[in-house]
Amino acid sequence: MVKKTLMSLLPKIDIQAKALSKEVQLPDARLTILQQVNLTINSGETVAVVGASGSGKSTLLGILAGLDTASSGEVYLAGQPLHQLDDDARAQLRAREVGFVFQSFLLLPSLTALENVTLPAELAGIKDATARGRKLLADVGLTARADFYPSQLSGGEQQRVAIARAFITEPAILFADEPSANLDAATGAKIEDLLFALNEQQGTTLVLVTHNPQLAKRCQRQLNMHAGELSEQQPEVSDVA
Amino acid sequence: MWLNIAARLFWRELRRGELWVIAFALCLAVFTVVSLTGITESVRSALSQRSSNFIAADKILRSSLPFNEEIFRTADTLGLTTAKQMQFSTMVFAGDLMQLVSVKAVSESYPLRGNLLLKTSEQPDATLLKSISAQQVFLEPRLLQLLNIRVGDTLELGVSRFVVAGIIAEEPDAPLSVFGNAPRLLMHVDDVAATQIVQPGSRIGYRYQFAGDSAALKTLELQVKPMLTVHDRWQSLDRESAVGSALDRAEKFLLLAGLLGIVLAACAAAVAASQYSQRHQMAVAVIKALGVTTAMARRIYASHLAMVSVFSIGIGLLLGQLASSGAQWFIEVWLGDYRPEFSVRPLWLGALTGLICATLFSARPIWRLAAVPALNVLRQRGQSFQLDIWQLVTGGLAIWLLMWLFSGDWWLSSWLFLLCLAFAALLLGMAAVLVRVAKPMAAGQSSALKLALANLRRRLWPNSFQLITFSLALFLTLILYFLRAELISQWQQQVPAGAPNQFLVNITETEKPQIIGLLQQNQLKAGDFYPMVSGRVLTVNNETLADPESQNDAERQKGEQQADAAGGGESAKRNMEQTTADNRVKREGIGRELNLTWLTTLPANNDIVAGAWFGTADKAQVSVEEKLAERLALQLGDKIGFSVGGQPFTATVSSFRKVDWNSLQPNFFMILSPDLMQNFPATYLTAFYLPKQQTALLNEMARSFPTISVLSVDNILKQINDIIAQVSLALTVILVLVFAAAVLVLVAQVQATLEQREQELAILRTLGAKTVFLRQAVLAEFAALGLMAGVFATVLAEVLLAVLQMRLFQLPFSLHFNLWWIGPGLGMVLICGLGWLLLRHLLLLPTPVLLRRALS
Repeated sequence: MVKKTLMSLLPKIDIQAKALSKEVQLPDARLTILQQVNLTINSGETVAVVGASGSGKSTLLGILAGLDTASSGEVYLAGQPLHQLDDDARAQLRAREVGFVFQSFLLLPSLTALENVTLPAELAGIKDATARGRKLLADVGLTARADFYPSQLSGGEQQRVAIARAFITEPAILFADEPSANLDAATGAKIEDLLFALNEQQGTTLVLVTHNPQLAKRCQRQLNMHAGELSEQQPEVSDVA
Repeated sequence: MWLNIAARLFWRELRRGELWVIAFALCLAVFTVVSLTGITESVRSALSQRSSNFIAADKILRSSLPFNEEIFRTADTLGLTTAKQMQFSTMVFAGDLMQLVSVKAVSESYPLRGNLLLKTSEQPDATLLKSISAQQVFLEPRLLQLLNIRVGDTLELGVSRFVVAGIIAEEPDAPLSVFGNAPRLLMHVDDVAATQIVQPGSRIGYRYQFAGDSAALKTLELQVKPMLTVHDRWQSLDRESAVGSALDRAEKFLLLAGLLGIVLAACAAAVAASQYSQRHQMAVAVIKALGVTTAMARRIYASHLAMVSVFSIGIGLLLGQLASSGAQWFIEVWLGDYRPEFSVRPLWLGALTGLICATLFSARPIWRLAAVPALNVLRQRGQSFQLDIWQLVTGGLAIWLLMWLFSGDWWLSSWLFLLCLAFAALLLGMAAVLVRVAKPMAAGQSSALKLALANLRRRLWPNSFQLITFSLALFLTLILYFLRAELISQWQQQVPAGAPNQFLVNITETEKPQIIGLLQQNQLKAGDFYPMVSGRVLTVNNETLADPESQNDAERQKGEQQADAAGGGESAKRNMEQTTADNRVKREGIGRELNLTWLTTLPANNDIVAGAWFGTADKAQVSVEEKLAERLALQLGDKIGFSVGGQPFTATVSSFRKVDWNSLQPNFFMILSPDLMQNFPATYLTAFYLPKQQTALLNEMARSFPTISVLSVDNILKQINDIIAQVSLALTVILVLVFAAAVLVLVAQVQATLEQREQELAILRTLGAKTVFLRQAVLAEFAALGLMAGVFATVLAEVLLAVLQMRLFQLPFSLHFNLWWIGPGLGMVLICGLGWLLLRHLLLLPTPVLLRRALS
């Protein structure tokens, strides 16, 4: 009883990486992309991973989201040992627990905005997918564009559809890879606001990969990736205040 | 759930046009097979129906034994129509004159195919009959002259007397050979018995003629098989005859064209499948990132393929059937007497082709597509789907399987398949070398050309593949174009304009200059005069030759005695004959008189294949036609004993000759050295061309030289020309189809690169490239590709043409000078034109639109 009470007081862990390494074999050398990365992200946290190009940010994101596998180490996602799951089991876990927002939107060109949004819900077997989709499109301000195809939408509109798509399954965890990098500053800022607003509304854990220090600062935690090693930046005093 | 998503994606992709390329390629493959098979079958059946006219039936059973009524009853129960025919030589008498005639006795149903035209008088407006009745005899016009009688006069045949009912104007199965045939007398088969000409030992040819459904004919063949003996054999159209060899070549060509068409269609399907996979990589990565498993992705895309396949196969079958029905209609209109036959073979073959293309060509790309890792969403780039070994193996297997299914000839399909494979490998090597060589070439060029060459070099592998398909498409088109031209010109040479159409036989030494004079007066030119004497071959190396017919008679009598002794019926008698006939060992003779000639120079259309042609100094020698030499088992140096007019003499075999029997020139089995023959009284044979407007000259000749026989081969020439025109048209139709297939492959190939080109154009435009510059670069790139493809195709086509000419079609080897400018020129114009047509809209797009399209 006491143990149970204590457990409920501890924060719920959504993502955990232990001694995570990733190496790739090149024709004449072995390249280390991630070195002994240890990481714990609690439920509801917003975390930014920053770092220079080629530092291993996206590789880490891929492994944490179950899109890629590590060379060694352990990864737990929503309590499931990703490193022990096969490709299909990881896909099913993603369908249940994970949402994505990508740098280049990656909408399916043959589906309308609404259909793109409802696709993950259908994959997860959610019944009222269309109603949810319409509501989310309304939330991102695209009610009038529901039946447009991606090629008929501007970049900012496409990313808003992608954000609606990411939230439709009410995922426990949302991974965002440079969500505003392909957009102009004003549109980018709007997209970021939308992302954080929906995140807050749904209480989603957010893992964000970005170059943009301003965007990173909007997250509760900032992790710095450098040559495959991860370190946590201490929040500045002003930020805490 | 996946079915829902699959169905939605399918309809959306169909609407967006994503699936049209693959649907189009599959449709094309099915269409090509259905239309080519259908048209080929129609042409084949039209030709074989035409050739049926030459034998007056669809099938003939020849026998030297009297008719077995059981065989006719079997044919009747199968719903076939039948006719009886007996052929023999005998003497007819009219007053004091007598003449050896070749009698054809037929039943009323004759001819089952083709037209028999009998004129009831010699007047031009005479009534025409199409069949013969009992108690009638009809004669070849020259027989009236020879017997000095007219229509309505009486002649004696055996112990019967007949009133001449008219003359034979057209006989469908008249012999195509013009020499050595006694004039024809046509009578009713039921009247033969009364003449008492047929006696035990008489040499009679019995023919069972059948016509009807080809399946029923096949069944007949199987059912009567137990009733047949060694004296019975099925007759097919003689492949040695001019018509037979023309048909044979045409069939080979059609088969070859069909096979090549399938290779092209298969290429289109392969290109489309790869292109589809390439374009859908990111979509698969996205849906997998969103939680779709590999198995589900596989099901989604496999179901797309299945739906597209069903749709395209259906459309392909429909269009193919329409095309072949159109062709049938055309043939029907053109030939008049053509009976179209519906065949399901093209349809099931087409459906199977679609299925094979869909599974064996597309299964691998779809399999690989579903295996695209979800991680690609982060990499932001697709993998380049290079051909992998499995795709090559399944694709190769599919092509071979299709070729085999289509031709039913595994040897030809394997051979052609290996050849295509070798060509592809060779082309790949040549392409790699050329594209590398292009780099230093580009150094001193204008920037548009430099960009074009850089483009070519950068996409070395995709370009090599493109180059291979371009070259293959051009190569196949060139091959068909040149082979078609070759076949047609060979046939036309066989019957050139102005070829002799009248033969004069039986000219005496004194008549020779008179004939030359008469022809000269009429501005006509006589050909060579060949001396002719009839003689028999009696011995080879002092061994007496057996008479084939009398040998059969002896066996027959022996068999009958044995069968009678055993109390057996007709079939026992026939079986017995079979056993006794197998014991023949003696060298068999020719069984008839030969026309012998003597010459000092080797005639045109004759080639010495062994030994040497005798010179003027050589004595007592003979040159023998190679097939006859084979039949008589002759060796060079053998001594042949001849008898001419009862006088025996011997000649040594000094050479064997190959004779072109298709040439419609006087040809001889045996040519003797002049020393042997000079003492025999000879008559001469000559030939000349008589234009239609001068036919009155023939009447003048008949009056002035009553003993000279005039043989007109106009009918034969007309029949051959008809066939040639018909086959040429068929070849042209098929060439057009194959060319269309080749163009479609090119289109599919260029379309496969559209997306990449769109992005490149967007970049170049952003960097400030002008439309003129981009246009020049695109044109230069396609022109270079087209030129290379054209050159490769030309080289390979020349090599293959040489092989095909000599091996498959038995034509003489010749270089094709035209090929060397047509090939590269066609390649450049065609590929440049197509590239321009397909890319023009991209080049004209405003930069912002181009950018948005490239980025979406």
